[in-house]
Amino acid sequence: MSSIKEKFNQISPSEFFYSNRDLAGFSNPTRSLYTAVREFVENALDACDQKGILPDVHLTIKAVEPEKPDPKPYILTVKDNGPGIDAEHIPLAFGTVLYGSKFGLKQARGMFGLGATMAILYGQITTNKPVIVKSSIDGEIQNQFEILLDIQKNKPVIVKHTTKEVSKKGLSVSICLEGDYSKAGNKIRDYVYETSLITPYASITFDDPKGQKFSHSRFVKEIPPPPTIIKPHPHGIDVERIRRMIVESQFEIPTIDDAMIEKVRKDLGLSIKNLSFTSIMDKAKKKWKTLSRQVRVVIALMSFLKMDFEKLNKIKIEDLDIPNKKLFYWDFGDSQSKSVDMDPESQYYKQLTNTVQGEPLTTFLTKRFQRIGPTTAVKFAEFANLKPERRMGTLSNQELVQLSDSLQKFEDFMAPDSSCLAPLGEEPLEKGIKKFFNPDFTAVVQRPASAYSGFPFIIEMGIAYGGEIKSGGPHVYRYANRIPLLYDEGSDVVLKVVNDTDWGRYKVKGDPPFIIVSHICSTRIPYKTAGKENVADRQEIERELRLGLQFLSRKLAAYMSKRGQADMAKKRANLYAKYIPLIAEFCTELAGKKKEPNYKKILEDNAVESKKPVKEEKVIENK
Amino acid sequence: MKTSKKEQTRIKERSKKADEKQKNILEMLKSHGAKIYDDLDNGQFPKFSIPSRSVSNIVYDKKLRQYILGNNAAVRSSRNSAQLRSFTQLMWLAFFANRLTHEKKSSTLRDVYYSSQAFAIEFDDQSESDNIIVDLEAVTSKPREDFHIFPEERSSIFGDLNIEYTIPGYEGKTMNLSNHPDGYSIGPSLTTAELVDTSAEIVIAIEKGGLFTRFVEEQIDKKFKSIIINTGGQAPRSTRTLLKRLHDEMKLPVIVLTDGDVYGEHIAMVIKSGSANAAHLRELTVPDAKWVGVWATDIEKYKLPTIPMTESDIKRCYDLQKDPRYQDGIWKKELDVFLRLKRKAELEAFSKYGLTNITDKYLPQKLELAKSL
Repeated sequence: MSSIKEKFNQISPSEFFYSNRDLAGFSNPTRSLYTAVREFVENALDACDQKGILPDVHLTIKAVEPEKPDPKPYILTVKDNGPGIDAEHIPLAFGTVLYGSKFGLKQARGMFGLGATMAILYGQITTNKPVIVKSSIDGEIQNQFEILLDIQKNKPVIVKHTTKEVSKKGLSVSICLEGDYSKAGNKIRDYVYETSLITPYASITFDDPKGQKFSHSRFVKEIPPPPTIIKPHPHGIDVERIRRMIVESQFEIPTIDDAMIEKVRKDLGLSIKNLSFTSIMDKAKKKWKTLSRQVRVVIALMSFLKMDFEKLNKIKIEDLDIPNKKLFYWDFGDSQSKSVDMDPESQYYKQLTNTVQGEPLTTFLTKRFQRIGPTTAVKFAEFANLKPERRMGTLSNQELVQLSDSLQKFEDFMAPDSSCLAPLGEEPLEKGIKKFFNPDFTAVVQRPASAYSGFPFIIEMGIAYGGEIKSGGPHVYRYANRIPLLYDEGSDVVLKVVNDTDWGRYKVKGDPPFIIVSHICSTRIPYKTAGKENVADRQEIERELRLGLQFLSRKLAAYMSKRGQADMAKKRANLYAKYIPLIAEFCTELAGKKKEPNYKKILEDNAVESKKPVKEEKVIENK
Repeated sequence: MKTSKKEQTRIKERSKKADEKQKNILEMLKSHGAKIYDDLDNGQFPKFSIPSRSVSNIVYDKKLRQYILGNNAAVRSSRNSAQLRSFTQLMWLAFFANRLTHEKKSSTLRDVYYSSQAFAIEFDDQSESDNIIVDLEAVTSKPREDFHIFPEERSSIFGDLNIEYTIPGYEGKTMNLSNHPDGYSIGPSLTTAELVDTSAEIVIAIEKGGLFTRFVEEQIDKKFKSIIINTGGQAPRSTRTLLKRLHDEMKLPVIVLTDGDVYGEHIAMVIKSGSANAAHLRELTVPDAKWVGVWATDIEKYKLPTIPMTESDIKRCYDLQKDPRYQDGIWKKELDVFLRLKRKAELEAFSKYGLTNITDKYLPQKLELAKSL
């Protein structure tokens, strides 16, 4: 048959991303410049958020050779006042793909810190210049690195490392990349502008290549409460995730070498002299509660082997056969495999079972998932057709699938915990909208937390009308986890909900000056593409958006009808002022009188008191 | 001397009568004005009620044999900003009519439209101002002619009729309407003139100017002792007023001669019983007027050359079939025949048999027939 042999090569993550860089938003110089800005700014904001620091972020883009036509190399620098990064972690963090600290389950702008490395990679590919990272974690010493990426090995190459004294904490990252500012400029300025709306507690400045300075200073002095890292919700889990969680929960039999024996001896507080088997066991029984898991396992093994440290040194544990209650080991002295029986009644037996077979199902559920109590766990076990005391380590593949399916389907789990989310809050959102648009009317709402496929989310929305808002609305400002979404808005769920709304019903007609701000916060935003620009229309999210928008629209309608009434009253007053004097003139002659009737009273009674447009009082809904 | 004294008393009486009428109009306008004046003076938004002229409020009165307005009335208030403009327009019109009546000056509908502009009263177009004039008629139940507002003239009269003018500058002056062979146009001075005497025994209203001239040439006025009136198509209100006066004051029967089509039939009907458009006015109808032709049946009887009806002709037939006045008699019969024939004939069609065929043959037969109608 065919003699062609296919070659299978393992490729490094760096190589993979290099060949698939458009997936991450680095498809062309315009898009790449914009994406790089986003990644670094978002990392800076995330770093500050995590440590509760009010962010000061400085973005600078400079052309290497300003006279050259676009696309051309630019130097992009983002500097923050965040916690900085440990010198020892910097090379790995900036010189490896898939190295990040954001793997916990909580809301953050970026998921894994992946994008920044992509930007560095892209910069290196297009300009062959290293990334320059300056970091100070103590506000005294700053480490400065110049790093290149070894794409094939996915390893950092440190070109230069220096230190110097500084007076401020923070991180500064600078890359050289090919970009097209003449095309990307608008988006980048919009991005900075819109980011500062949703991050009112941050100061963001932007020095653009043309020498223009855009400065957005903070106007809210408090950081919204930071999100906490939480355990996953059962609805948001799959088989692979369960498998990993089981591995984490299992405990390997420790290698019993000299170091381990020394550790056990120390932990038991034994002097070298009293090392008889019985004295070890006696001491262990007394100190059991203070012992670490590793030490407990060693003690348990020793109890069945009936050996002291000296003997223990001459064997190697081979296998624990729990069903047959046998312990196999290799005796170096005799050079043969031996076994001992284990007494299932012994408390040490239980210790070993736990270690090898993992936790029982109910313990696994209550300990490793959010919002599952013992009662629910037992109920679930029945639902999943698994014994509650079943050891996780003994589940077959098929049973794992069965467990995973049941976790999705079981309906009695409580809604996901939303403490891992960090919405902006109604007050800062309203402040932001008022500052940015100076509208006649503003209303904001934060919907209660909800969930889709086990991922909690919260919708925040704002609506504003009139004032300095330009007509032709609704203009929609979309945010997800405090990131403005600027591209691909056509297919976004928020746009879908807005476009489905019949604004005439809410008394908004013609070419109205109004804006809508929507902010979706979630531990996982269901983006349609890896470029993270549009949110897929998950039913649960769409529903919450709809409810939020309806609530705001009703507020707007109430305002509009008030505004309409005021407009009408003004119009009417003008009509009266125009026609009543004429009527008076005509009827005077008609009635054969000389003096006109005193019609001033009618005009005064119907005059509009204020010429100002209606300003709406503060509308904040508390739930 | 004696006669002249008698004449003078008669003239005085006549002008007194005319003065009386004018005085009544002015009084009425004044009382309306005074009410509005008082409302304003008391800090109230003035308002008045106005009979509704919507289709649902136009009903046919069998006793009066004309369309009249029902009891529905609408309040027009100056408080209502949607009505304020038309309210003011109507006030201005009353004010303007008051001046016209005072000064005994007449004006046309078009004049009204333009005059408004001197008072910062804007009418979008003449149809808007015409509409307000109808409003004034409806509120006062008086035709616009009483306020010295006349439409453009297009109808005329000829025959042995002596009249005496009452308009300023011509008071007491008399005229015989057979002195000028082109006829006299029926305008404000003629409509308001006193009808003194006549030797005629019948009034022939004819739809078309061409036939009117033929009738004068053929001395129909003398041959049949008649007064000939050219209605110029659908008879204007001043012409209908004059027809009514000739019938009521001079006791003359009125016959109507039109083209042989559905529009001709309706011209005769409007002279007889008015139009829905003027349902708010009485005194405009001659219920005894008779339509003598050209009938649909005449088309077949006299073998007249015809032209086919247009779609709008046919639609008009169906519309009139729903009109209560077309439910019996020759009105219904002829309408049905028109619909059957789907053809029509003009008055001039008789010329096929000679120019004087219509006056020599057709008219005498019809006049004879009219006696039995």
